[in-house]
Amino acid sequence: MKEAGRQESPVDWEGALIQRARSGDTRAFERLYREHAGRVYGLCLRMTRDAALAEDCTQEAFINAWRALDRFEDRASMATWMHRIAVNVVLGKRRKAAPLMVDWDSLAPTGEDERIESEWTLETPLEVNDIEAAIGGLPDGARDVLVLYAIYGYSHSETAEMLGVAEGTCKAQLHRARGLLRDRLGVEVG
Amino acid sequence: MSGSDMRPGSTSKRVSSLRDLPREIAPPRDLWKGIEAEIAAPVQTVVKAPSHRLRYLAAAAMVAALAVGIWIGRELSVPLYTAHATVLPANNTPVDEPGAFHAAYVMGPKYINQRAQLVRDLATRLAQLPPESRTKVMSSLQAIDDSKRNLERELGKDPSNALLQELLVNTYQDEMRVLTAVHEAGSSGEGI
Repeated sequence: MKEAGRQESPVDWEGALIQRARSGDTRAFERLYREHAGRVYGLCLRMTRDAALAEDCTQEAFINAWRALDRFEDRASMATWMHRIAVNVVLGKRRKAAPLMVDWDSLAPTGEDERIESEWTLETPLEVNDIEAAIGGLPDGARDVLVLYAIYGYSHSETAEMLGVAEGTCKAQLHRARGLLRDRLGVEVG
Repeated sequence: MSGSDMRPGSTSKRVSSLRDLPREIAPPRDLWKGIEAEIAAPVQTVVKAPSHRLRYLAAAAMVAALAVGIWIGRELSVPLYTAHATVLPANNTPVDEPGAFHAAYVMGPKYINQRAQLVRDLATRLAQLPPESRTKVMSSLQAIDDSKRNLERELGKDPSNALLQELLVNTYQDEMRVLTAVHEAGSSGEGI
């Protein structure tokens, strides 16, 4: 499952809003915010595990996006672009808070590739809150990859690029996340 | 992530895949106001340094003013006008170049009448001057006229440029000084 690119429709309302926002129209940018805030906040919340920090990251992501609108490529997906910015903001704050805490490269690629088209199905249906709590308890590196790949549907290469890690590291983290989730949820994650 | 933080709608809904988890989680409060306050903050105005062209014009106007000031000794008292003026060129033909700034800048009618009188008398007065003084006057008026045309042309492109406006008014004032000096000079060219 992939993050959808810009919706092709007879009226490219989002493209029009982006154009207007580029020319300084804050009302147009507000509409873009309303459209994307939930997805950006959702990602920030899952990555930070802290509601207040996630709010800060969301605000900062949109402020950064406003300032970088001229660099947004028209054919790109606004949703994906916003997620890239949000990931950068979260990682930046995390590095400031604990510069040595995240050591991505400590987890070398295992050589065991994650199944690219894995659906991340659960052996038994579980409550959303329980799953979210289990994801929230994962180590940062594993959680970041799991959120971007399994929940938001980015590919390994996209996930790795967003997080600034090697694709092999990304796959290894995902493998680790799957194992940890299985242990915490008590069900097989396929 | 604490459980309370991660409960989209505090749902007890069951899902059978991580793909089915909600991608959107509404922020608990509207974050737009904070974003708007930041992006709508006035951008600090950067005062642009005068362009090379503007510096050239300023220098040219200054040279013209300096030349005029030297030869009339600046001792002449001309009733100049404080505010913005529109002044016709010395040859009494308005600058009419495309894009030129047609200064409807105007001083009062007193200035216009006085200048018109001085321009009318100019030919007669020049004829009475020694050739050397006449050449000085003609050269200075030409420099002033060139300066005015350049400034008016640039103001046509950038009408609100305060520096150009000031230079133009100064140039008009210099022209009045020259015309008045010629008017009051004796037949020997004294004062010029």
